[in-house]
Amino acid sequence: MSAAASPILDRSDPVGGHPAVTYRQAGDRSVLVEYGEMELDLTLNFFVLAVDAALSRQPADGLLESAPGFRSMLVRYDPSVLATHELVAHLSQLHESLPAEQEIEIPSRVIELPIAFDDSKSQSAVERYIRSIRKDAPNCEGANNIDYIVRYNGFAEREEFYDAVLATEHWTGFIGFFPGLPFMFPIDPRHTVVAPKYNPTRTWTAEGAVGLGGPCYAIYPVESAGGYQLFGRSLPVYDLQARNEVFREHPLLLRPGDRVTFERVSEEELLSTWEDARADRYRYRIEEQPFDVGAYLELREKVRDEAEKWRQRREEAAANTPVP
Amino acid sequence: MRGGATIEILKPGVQATVQDYPGRPGMLRQGFFPSGAMDFLALRAGNLLVGNPQSAAGLEVTLGGFSARFETDATMAICGAPAETTLDGEPVALWESRRAPAGSELTIAISPGPGFRCYIAVSGGIDVPQLFGSRATYTMGGLGGFEGRALRAGDRLPLGPAGENGQPRRFNETARPHYDREWEVEAMRGPQATPDFLTDADMQQFFGRSWKVDRNSDRTGVRLESHRFEYARDTGGVAGGHPSNILDNPYPVGAININGDLPVLLGPDGPTAGGFIVAATVVHAALWKVGQLRPVGDHVRFREVTIEEAAAAEQELETRLSENSLEPA
Repeated sequence: MSAAASPILDRSDPVGGHPAVTYRQAGDRSVLVEYGEMELDLTLNFFVLAVDAALSRQPADGLLESAPGFRSMLVRYDPSVLATHELVAHLSQLHESLPAEQEIEIPSRVIELPIAFDDSKSQSAVERYIRSIRKDAPNCEGANNIDYIVRYNGFAEREEFYDAVLATEHWTGFIGFFPGLPFMFPIDPRHTVVAPKYNPTRTWTAEGAVGLGGPCYAIYPVESAGGYQLFGRSLPVYDLQARNEVFREHPLLLRPGDRVTFERVSEEELLSTWEDARADRYRYRIEEQPFDVGAYLELREKVRDEAEKWRQRREEAAANTPVP
Repeated sequence: MRGGATIEILKPGVQATVQDYPGRPGMLRQGFFPSGAMDFLALRAGNLLVGNPQSAAGLEVTLGGFSARFETDATMAICGAPAETTLDGEPVALWESRRAPAGSELTIAISPGPGFRCYIAVSGGIDVPQLFGSRATYTMGGLGGFEGRALRAGDRLPLGPAGENGQPRRFNETARPHYDREWEVEAMRGPQATPDFLTDADMQQFFGRSWKVDRNSDRTGVRLESHRFEYARDTGGVAGGHPSNILDNPYPVGAININGDLPVLLGPDGPTAGGFIVAATVVHAALWKVGQLRPVGDHVRFREVTIEEAAAAEQELETRLSENSLEPA
C-alpha cells in the first residue's frame, strides 16, 4: 500500500455565495477543512463559524470535535466509526445547507475592555528579551515594540497607531494557542495594522498583555512565551478560579464571534481595575448584539478605496523596515 | 477502601506530574491540547498490571532521580525508560506489578536510556480531582493534576479505592515496546505538504533523513534540528514573510510543525493553533514514542503510512494492551 502523494482529499469551487473548500487529511484522526484562499477576508471566518454552528446542530456518529481557525476548521473524528469519505460527504452536505455569506447571522457580543498602552509589564518583557535572548532585534529597538509597529506601518507617531487600535471593533475569529487566547481582527479595514512576529520568540509575556502578530491582535490569557509585538495591557481573559463572576460559568471570557473594543486608560487606572476585577468588584462590560454581516459588507465596500490607500502606504513603509 | 491513603513525594526529579489517558480531548476550540501521559502505552500497561482501568491517573517521571514513600499498602508497577529502581533498597523490575507495603520507599535513579520517561501506576490510581473529565496535569494552564503544577518534595497525593490485590504479574516480553536511540515514528503527510506548500524533494528529505532531537524539548513540543526546505511557495504572503507561514489555523495532536526552518513535534501540552505549516502528523498509535525521545543523542525517522496502516497499528496497540499480554511474575 503506498501513501498518497498529497494530503488533499477533495476540493470544491466557490458556489452560491459559498467559498471554495479544500479538505486535507491531518493525521489518522483529523481532517482540516480550509475555506477560500489564503487571504485576510473576514467573510471566510464568518463562514467557518456558520459551519461550526451547523455542525453542532447536525453532528455525525464518530465526529468528536471541531475547532475553528481563521479560514479553516479542524474536525477530529474516529475513523473506525466514521470513514474519512463519509466525514467529507457530511461536511459538504452541511455546506450546501448554509445560506449565502451575506445572509449569515452570527450570535455576537460587544465587550469593552480597558487598555493601557506602553505599560511597564510589556516594557519589562521586551527588556528581558533584549537581555537574555536577542540584543539586536529591530523590533525591540528603544526597548519597546511600539516604535517598530509605528515604523512598520508608516504611522507618523505612536498616537496614530493607538487611534487605529481604539477606532474599530475587533472580531474574535477563534480561540487557541493557549486556553482562552482570542485571535482578533479589526472589523474596519481602514484600521488594519500589521507586524511581523518575533524571531526567535520571547520566553516571557505578562498575563493580560496585548500584542500584534501579522494582522492579528491577541490578549495573553496566561503568563507565557509569545511571538507577538507587545504594545499594551488589558484585563484577565481566563480565570479557572473564577475570581470574577464573569468566569463563573466558564473560565474563558471570549468566544468566537465576540467583538472587542478598547477604552484607553492610564496604567495606574488599569492596575486598579485589574485588582477590582480580581476581587470581583469590577463588572466586565458585555452587551449581546447580533452581528449583521450584510452591514459589514456594505461598510467594507464603502471604505474600499480608503482602505486600499492605507494598505499601499503601509506596504511601502514595511518594505523599508527590517524584519526581525 | 483506604480512606486518606496517600503517596508522599520525596524527590520529584527533573519533572514529575500526575497524568492519565487520554487526558482531556475535545477542548481544542478553547485552546487546550489534551495533556495526559506522553507515553500512554507505558502508563496503560502499568494500569493493566495493577488492575486499574487503563485510563487511571499515574505519575509521569521524566528522566528519573525520583523517590516517594507509600503511606499505605498498595500494588504498583513501573513501566517505561529503564532505570535502577528500588523499593526499600530491593531491586524492582520494570513492567511488573508488585506489592509496596505501607512505609516503603521507592527510588528511581537517573535513566541511562534508551527512553526518557517512566510511569508509576498504583492500584486505585492517583485520586486528584477531575477537571473537565480528566486528572491530567497541564502546567501551562496551571490546571489539573496536583494543584495544576509539577510535583514537589512533600506533596502528598491521594489514592483511589483499590480492587483486590492480585498476584504479581508481568507484561510479557513480546508485548513490551522496544526502545532505541534511533526511533522510527509512523506519520502521515500533511495537512500542509505537497503539492502546495512543500516540494516532492522536501517530503523525500522529510521522510528520508534522520532527525536529531534537540535539548529544548518538553511536553509542549519536541524540537528537531533546523533544515532548509525548498518550499513550493516563495513567501507566506499575507501571513508573513517566511514560506512556512500561514494564516493561523488549528493544529492536530501529533503535528510536526515547520517553525521557520525548525520542525517541532507538538506534544500533549502544545499550542492548539498557530501560523506555521504542518508537514506531517504522527498517527495516534505511534504518539507514545514521542514521550520516549531523549532530548540529547536520540534520532528519529518518520515512516510514511496510509490511514489503513494507521488503523492496523491502532488495532495492534489495543491487542498488546490487553490481559492476554500479562503473565504471572
